Amino acid sequence: MQAGVAIKGARVQGGRALRLRILAIDTALGLCAACVQQDDAETPLSAESLVMERGHAEALLPLIERVMARVDGGFKSLDRVAVTIGPGSFTGIRVGIAAARAIGLAAKIPVVGVTSLTAFAAPLVARGQQRLVGAAIDARHGHVFFQAVAPGGRSVVNARHISIRDAARALGAGPAVLAGSGAGLVAAEARALGVDVSTEGVNMAPQIAWVARLGLTADPATALPKPFYLRPADAKPQTAAQIPRQPVPQ
Amino acid sequence: MAKDRRSDYRLFQNNSETTMRDTRPALVTMRILGLETTCDETAAAVVSCDGEGRGHILANEVLSQIAEHAAYGGVVPEIAARAHVESLDLLVARALARAGLDLSDMDGIAAAAGPGLIGGVIVGLTAAKALALVAGKPFIAVNHLEGHALTARLTDSVAFPYLLLLASGGHTQLVCVRGVGDYIRLGTTIDDAIGEAFDKTAKMLGLPYPGGPEVEKEALRGDPERFNLPRPMLRRDVPDFSLSGLKTAVRLEAERIAPLSATDVADLCASFQAAVVDVIVDRSRVALRAFHAAAGNPTALVVAGGVAANQMIRAALQRFAAEAGLRLVTPPPALCTDNAAMIAWAGLERLRLDLTDDLTAPARARWPLDSMRA
Ligand SMILES: Nc1ncnc2c1ncn2[C@@H]1O[C@H](COP(=O)(O)OP(=O)(O)OP(=O)(O)O)[C@@H](O)[C@H]1O
Repeated sequence: MQAGVAIKGARVQGGRALRLRILAIDTALGLCAACVQQDDAETPLSAESLVMERGHAEALLPLIERVMARVDGGFKSLDRVAVTIGPGSFTGIRVGIAAARAIGLAAKIPVVGVTSLTAFAAPLVARGQQRLVGAAIDARHGHVFFQAVAPGGRSVVNARHISIRDAARALGAGPAVLAGSGAGLVAAEARALGVDVSTEGVNMAPQIAWVARLGLTADPATALPKPFYLRPADAKPQTAAQIPRQPVPQ
Repeated sequence: MAKDRRSDYRLFQNNSETTMRDTRPALVTMRILGLETTCDETAAAVVSCDGEGRGHILANEVLSQIAEHAAYGGVVPEIAARAHVESLDLLVARALARAGLDLSDMDGIAAAAGPGLIGGVIVGLTAAKALALVAGKPFIAVNHLEGHALTARLTDSVAFPYLLLLASGGHTQLVCVRGVGDYIRLGTTIDDAIGEAFDKTAKMLGLPYPGGPEVEKEALRGDPERFNLPRPMLRRDVPDFSLSGLKTAVRLEAERIAPLSATDVADLCASFQAAVVDVIVDRSRVALRAFHAAAGNPTALVVAGGVAANQMIRAALQRFAAEAGLRLVTPPPALCTDNAAMIAWAGLERLRLDLTDDLTAPARARWPLDSMRA
């Protein structure tokens, strides 16, 4: 993280900002992960990630218990909780958010939401890029959750659920670098279109330390811990099976 | 609520001072926070028990999702799960505020871990585990059906053993309740639940969702004898239910006379409800016989679940209970349908027996009551 970044919500005492300590949680994709990070340190004080397709609901709290047991001061020493809010598995998103919001309530501290796409892109963006930076998550059936930013941080594609082809087209002529579980899919399609594109950080989930870093700089008033599904619930109104009735006399 | 520190003191039998002042059995006074998210109700409640073991509801917050699901004619699991995660923490905060208590005042945190719609169960279970972990309190994974089964002990201090008829949108069971975690399922439905049969009948007749209360309203002005509908399972010696044949019979009668006039709808509802009432009374009678064989005399007949709100069914069961020399206990409607007070109370009953769970407790879509062990 850049030095000297002003942290919103940081406690100030005697004119000097106190350290801010955060618990970060990610269960939105293929990991069950948590870490405790402080804004004055590069590496987390404590972290654990388990590769996991399903079963986050059973694994997460024991994992958080282990992660917290390794830091002095326990939950009382936390200033904030960050959680990935998606896109990702609907159930995974809710496990993380339900846990984070309950921890926030019990510890009486703010909870911030970080999108999985931003967390994937963050390590690339932080290094400074002359290229477009895209993040893609495999959404199956030829689709990805996708977002892209131009050098300097201007948004090229806002986070959305789109076809792999449309994601590739959105990269224009490139050059571009892609991160995320769906980066390979988009890169292959883009190369077929002749775009200069590379991939980096093609992981099944974002690095938990980056979720923490983004959480430390997020504004609790706007980075709400609400699900970011990017896809509506699959449900159709039912009208069938009703037996005809006589018109009601007026 | 004024904070009464004295109620925090646990009474220990080996403490001579306490024993001198208080010769009652050493019952621990407790307060439990309970969460319920297994279906289409998001709920949080705080209950306590006093020195005599009697239950008190200190807060009971329920947010119904009926409006969200109405357009779909039934509960849509993904929509339910989405709604739970949006509001559960607010309901917990509200329940604690209403009780005038802090999380640190709780003796345990309970959540319904199933059976139910798994997406919603996961939300409540995860939140409760997190609250318990941060607050350093015991966690109790409660069977939703056990919540229904033990409600009569919260509201009416009913003693074990008792006969329970649990009839809701998702469940229809006759249960011998012998103790906490000690249940014998005497009978169940082999197809639709009773509430489900009400809902499906309402839907085919074009009545709004949820259908139970609508069918009851229509039935009030209908003729229960106009249609000769079947009474499935009548006099079978195992107290099981079957509702789908009855539902089909309603459909066939309705199709035969369609398009339906307002009178037709009312008569169909009345005839359907009359058949259900006959079946319920007959099945309860058979269950009582099975109960005697398994556990002797019940202290009461308890009716729980949303269907218990039906006045015709209540009245019929009242007559049956009187005939059998049994006390009929029907908890108030708000505690018969899904709520968190029953989860908190079941959690309290379990915690009293030191039956707690660890943070790996699974969410369960299916979890038969009689598979539980205390
Ligand atoms: N007056 C009534 N007459 C008949 N059925 C009713 C009446 N009122 C409610 N019901 C039925 O009760 C059911 C709702 O009850 P409840 O909330 O206990 O169950 P549920 O949401 O299906 O949950 P679960 O089965 O998981 O306990 C619905 O099927 C509804 O139609």
